[in-house]
Amino acid sequence: MQTDILSTEKKASVIEFIGVSKTYENGTNALEDVNIKINKGEFVFVVGTSGAGKSTFMKLIMREEKPNTGKIYVNGFELSGLSRKKVPLLRRTMGIVFQDFRLIPNLNVFENVAFAMHIVGAGNRDIRKNVSRVLNLVGLGKKARCMPMELSGGEQQRVGLARALVNRPSIIIADEPTGNVDPNMSYEIVELLTEINNRGTTVLMVTHEHQLVRDFNKRVIMIEKGHIVADNQDGGIV
Amino acid sequence: MKLQSLRYLTASGLKNVWVNKFMTLASVGTLIACMSIIGMSIILSDNVDKALGSIEKENVVMVYFNDLNSVLYGSQAEKFTGADNSSAGYVDASTITEDQYLIHNEAEARAVCDEISELDNIESVEYISKEQGLEGVLSTMNPAQAEYFTFLKDEINGNPLSDGARVTMTDLSLFSETLQKIESVEGVSSTQSHGDLAEKISAIKRGVTVAGTWIVSILIIIALVIVSNTIRVTMYNRKLEISIMKAVGATDSFIRLPFLVEGVTIGVVSALISTGVLYFVYKAVLETLKSVLSVGQVIPFADFVLRLLLLFVFIGVLSGVIGSVIMIGRYLKKEGSEFSAL
Repeated sequence: MQTDILSTEKKASVIEFIGVSKTYENGTNALEDVNIKINKGEFVFVVGTSGAGKSTFMKLIMREEKPNTGKIYVNGFELSGLSRKKVPLLRRTMGIVFQDFRLIPNLNVFENVAFAMHIVGAGNRDIRKNVSRVLNLVGLGKKARCMPMELSGGEQQRVGLARALVNRPSIIIADEPTGNVDPNMSYEIVELLTEINNRGTTVLMVTHEHQLVRDFNKRVIMIEKGHIVADNQDGGIV
Repeated sequence: MKLQSLRYLTASGLKNVWVNKFMTLASVGTLIACMSIIGMSIILSDNVDKALGSIEKENVVMVYFNDLNSVLYGSQAEKFTGADNSSAGYVDASTITEDQYLIHNEAEARAVCDEISELDNIESVEYISKEQGLEGVLSTMNPAQAEYFTFLKDEINGNPLSDGARVTMTDLSLFSETLQKIESVEGVSSTQSHGDLAEKISAIKRGVTVAGTWIVSILIIIALVIVSNTIRVTMYNRKLEISIMKAVGATDSFIRLPFLVEGVTIGVVSALISTGVLYFVYKAVLETLKSVLSVGQVIPFADFVLRLLLLFVFIGVLSGVIGSVIMIGRYLKKEGSEFSAL
């Protein structure tokens, strides 16, 4: 357990990549010698063309993949040495938002959000209280009993966001959360993420929408051909 | 795992049985088919076994004792078959002394019966006096034959038969060895039996048991493979759900438990339905064959019900466990299925 926990010095950053490279079994070099640090409370856009290595970057943070070389620290866990049994503990410290929403079709909005709380063994009273809280936060308090199919794309993504938030994670990982919603709704989603970020949650958002990145003026990490080609702390795209 | 989670997962598994009703129906249908065939094989095999068992009981060994008649008419037989042509004719009973034979009265004959009954593999020994034997022989003859036989009997001054015993064995596969032991008992003169029939029955019984065991074993394996695969298909259909569970930090046991509950529920439901199906099929078959078979010749369904139900529940639960634990376990161990599950 001692090796999983970051040293006091590293606790300032919630995500840190040190000399990380990832090559898949088919020989694809997805990432090469990546060094990056994301501090607590930051809002970071990750941009890049398709195949640049953005998904691998996210998969490594979630410990869905392991790096070939280098060290990754996330929320106090050292990921390359993290055993499979401890991966769920890591993931409970983060909230994941998917491009395709990934809501369970036969569960209603409330149940889809409550699902994440059942996984951490929360009691029914806590579940009722917290799910209502996050549904109100994302503006879906009155649609708790609706089924996912009855909602628009933007509403479905807000349910996904509520699910990611309900366990009060310290990081939100959003994989192109605006990819399947209309442009107006994209702004609403990012505004919601900004509000969440203002409350102290670190947000890491992968996106293709450069206009959105320009408009929100946050830190931008640009990945191309497996390398970080730009890390603009002041916002905007090079 | 907390009780709260256990309750939620059990409810979730039971709900999944209904939500995935088409896959549930496919699994239940497959299991019922396999279980019914397994049950029919068992019922058929047991009934054949019982039928052969009743034939076995009919296959008695007649034991004749070494009494005066066995010396008298045994020696006559030797003379008539040409063993001693010089002195053909009846032996005079007065020329035979008591020390020339071993069984002099009924008490001695019954003592030999007791000795036989103590041998291994002996099911029953019934003493048959020569008078009972004669009645039995006469009853098998038509009146003309019986009259002629009675005439002969009178000619030789009395009943020519020896005292004897009707012996049945427990296991006909040990027929030859048991017969040898009976023949070696002091006081036994000769035996009469259908050894070849005993061997045939024994071989058929062995064949039925071996074939039944193979058929049932193969069908159990087929049932396990089919149901495990059905559960695996269900699991692939629900990759989305599993990927979300993994992404939000569910442990392997949390993901497995609803599948386990689902698999076991399907197994138990199939077991109950299969037992019901077999009850009605068996009843219908007996109804059809009632003109051919008597009630005593078939085993009542009540004698099977517990055994079949336990076996079916075992198969059902095992299928559910294999499907949910092993098959899903393989999938869960695969890295990289959260973002790329779809």
